[in-house]
Amino acid sequence: MKKADFWLIAVVFAAALVCWGAFVLFGTGGATVTVKEKNETVYQGALHTDKTVTLSGNTVVIRDGKVSVSNATCRNQLCVHHRPIARKGETILCLPHQVAVLIE
Amino acid sequence: MAKKISVYGLLTALCLVFGYLESLVSLSLIAPGIKLGLANGVALLLLAKKDWQGAFAVNLTRILLSTLLFGTPMQLLFSLSGGIGSLTVMAFLCRTEKFSLTGLSIAGGVVHNLFQLAAAVPLIGRGVLYYLPVLLVCGGISGGLIGFLATIIFKKIETNGKK
Repeated sequence: MKKADFWLIAVVFAAALVCWGAFVLFGTGGATVTVKEKNETVYQGALHTDKTVTLSGNTVVIRDGKVSVSNATCRNQLCVHHRPIARKGETILCLPHQVAVLIE
Repeated sequence: MAKKISVYGLLTALCLVFGYLESLVSLSLIAPGIKLGLANGVALLLLAKKDWQGAFAVNLTRILLSTLLFGTPMQLLFSLSGGIGSLTVMAFLCRTEKFSLTGLSIAGGVVHNLFQLAAAVPLIGRGVLYYLPVLLVCGGISGGLIGFLATIIFKKIETNGKK
């Protein structure tokens, strides 16, 4: 390991810390849930409004101020296993169906 | 030339096996689709041998073949942006001769994630930027790990396995 390596590591971690700090500072108290499919908004509503959004391959459930994906037709089921999200800036993604659930 | 081609072919096959091994170990709880990046170790060794053309050739072949065999067109886009981006940065840093293999690998891992994220923004939406800090740190850690391994392997190759 050379000196430049340590600088590199320091820069990467500093950048990560700054980003994370920014999300924590400016991202509390989620308000709006947006569900996007192929980068087109298919549903937008308040986080405290309970709602089930059915998409072509996924089912998004908004309940008690938390959003989760209850159903997906893809193989990997990553979005279904994702913990429910409730904070601003948090996302659940489904790459196979190009679905994004965001809290803004 | 013939020897080079056969070595590249072997290394590409090795990369494909790495890709399969990675698909068995899911790290997706951290962020969707996150991987160790074992194949990057092969590119690192070629860079250490000052063969950046070989590194590009093996990496591009690996990406095309693995998405053709196991992936989707979407993954091809992600893999290409990450692969080309990280390799370009690593090759450039390698030429400055200021970084060790581990340093190169860390930069490669981080840049790989940045490029994939950049490709994901127009496809999925700005929401993916939420993963930026996680991906920076994970890219650094996995890059460091792979770089550490590549350093050991490079020493073994240079001394023909003695010591």
